[in-house]
Amino acid sequence: MTPAAVALGIVAIAVIAAAVLGICGARGRLKSPLEYMVGGRSFGSLLLWLLMAGEIYTSFTFLGAAGYAYGLGAPCFYILCYGPVAYAIGFFLTPKIRAVGERYGMLTGPDFFRVRYRSVALAGLVTLVGFVSLVPYVTLQLTGLQVLLTIAGFGAFEPKGAVAIALLLIAAFVFATGLRGTAWASILKDALVVVVVVFAGIALPQRIAGGWEGTLRAVETAHPGWLTLAPGTAPHGVEWFVGAVVVSALGFFLWPQGMAATYSAKNGDALRRNAIFLPAYSLMVLFVLFAGFAALIALPGLKGAAADQAFMLVVRNQYPAWLLGVVAAAGALAALVPVTAQLLAGASIVAKNVVSDIFGACTDDRSRTALTRALVMAVALLALGLWFVLNTYLVNLLLYAYNGIAQFVPGVVMGFSWRRASAWGIGAGIVAGLAVLVATGAFGMKIYGLNPGLVGMAVNALVATVVSLFTNAPDAAHFEEFCAAARE
Amino acid sequence: MGRRIAPLVLAAIPTLALSLAIPFVNRFEPSLGGAPFLLVWIVAWVLATPFMLYAAFRLQQRV
Repeated sequence: MTPAAVALGIVAIAVIAAAVLGICGARGRLKSPLEYMVGGRSFGSLLLWLLMAGEIYTSFTFLGAAGYAYGLGAPCFYILCYGPVAYAIGFFLTPKIRAVGERYGMLTGPDFFRVRYRSVALAGLVTLVGFVSLVPYVTLQLTGLQVLLTIAGFGAFEPKGAVAIALLLIAAFVFATGLRGTAWASILKDALVVVVVVFAGIALPQRIAGGWEGTLRAVETAHPGWLTLAPGTAPHGVEWFVGAVVVSALGFFLWPQGMAATYSAKNGDALRRNAIFLPAYSLMVLFVLFAGFAALIALPGLKGAAADQAFMLVVRNQYPAWLLGVVAAAGALAALVPVTAQLLAGASIVAKNVVSDIFGACTDDRSRTALTRALVMAVALLALGLWFVLNTYLVNLLLYAYNGIAQFVPGVVMGFSWRRASAWGIGAGIVAGLAVLVATGAFGMKIYGLNPGLVGMAVNALVATVVSLFTNAPDAAHFEEFCAAARE
Repeated sequence: MGRRIAPLVLAAIPTLALSLAIPFVNRFEPSLGGAPFLLVWIVAWVLATPFMLYAAFRLQQRV
């Protein structure tokens, strides 16, 4: 067998094994929307941990973080920082979201806004923003998969067709299993990712520069200043860093797939325990960063998007084909398992908050599950189409997608804390926040080097406050009841 | 400190250490095993966060 056949064969076996695991784990359960979208609100600490780790550690963690370390240096440390910050916030916030979710039967992220602010139109706006943010996220995973398959195939074949087949297979998997399947498929994915990341973070620096210390010294010698941040408002400087940590951490749980994971918890303590253990898992990123630094020593000179390939190329140059296959398999699962959660969340919000709530169709359990399943396939095809057409442009869009999700923060925080917050206020705030993002993104407006997502969030909160004060006060009894439910 | 406030403070410390404190720790020296102080600081807080959240969890349960 050729090395390419060995490596790609291992990838294919791993993907099939993960799918079988997911299908077995989700077998024999009635597929009500409650079970399909949020696992019947029955996940204990372990399944929840698998699901959240499965969603969070994507191919970006694999290729992107190593690429950041390779191409930018110290700015890559932000990927270490935002996880613990997000969990410290989520420790308090997610049990509240779960509790109101159970009390009011919420199935999706936009449902939170529908219930708290009593507006299907506001939920529709949140659905639109969430959906538009999700699709680039899916396409980014496809690009990650393409990179992995190109390298694992030794450049001998054009993997676009293989990526398309993998996505359609995974969409069929989601069609069959729902959220529980994602959690079970994560078992293999997480196990493989942990083994590969620890191997890459220890063995590569050892082989190339005699260990972590040697790697860091070699990096600092070859690129003085690489391991500290540029001061002030410089590109990827200190201000950028703080903004990136804050925006990523605040938006963390408010992605549609993150809200679904929160609702799937069986009680608040499952979420709190999860928040305690997941920061330790963030240390995995450290191993990836060292692999990226080692790649910078072994194979310098790759620029731009090619930096993301550095780590895999070094593995290919230094190790036998079967090992390359195992690394690529971990990467492929790290791309595909999060995609299952993203496809499901994208389909769920459109089925529930647009088709059912706004147009009044498919409101019974059976037809809603059927509709969600059909939409899973539709979202997969949409993402695939966009990926074929707009490949590179969408990767840049992802950074903006995070900023878009961050615009949900004022509505969620005020939802629990300010009686006067109204649907008009929160909706106007989101629109204002998005306007800031469009102004900075499309027209290149600069705001003293500040993170546009953060500025958008501030404008958003201000507009939400002012508009809420000028609109009719919402029902006080509803707010009291909502807050009482949040306390469990 | 109130038993409702203490868990919030415990969570706020690593949050601030890994975000707003970064401009003040952005230097190379004192380094540890070749790692810049910035990285040492970040890794120390990533390691400390689970313990601090666990303490917050236990305090909450005693309420």
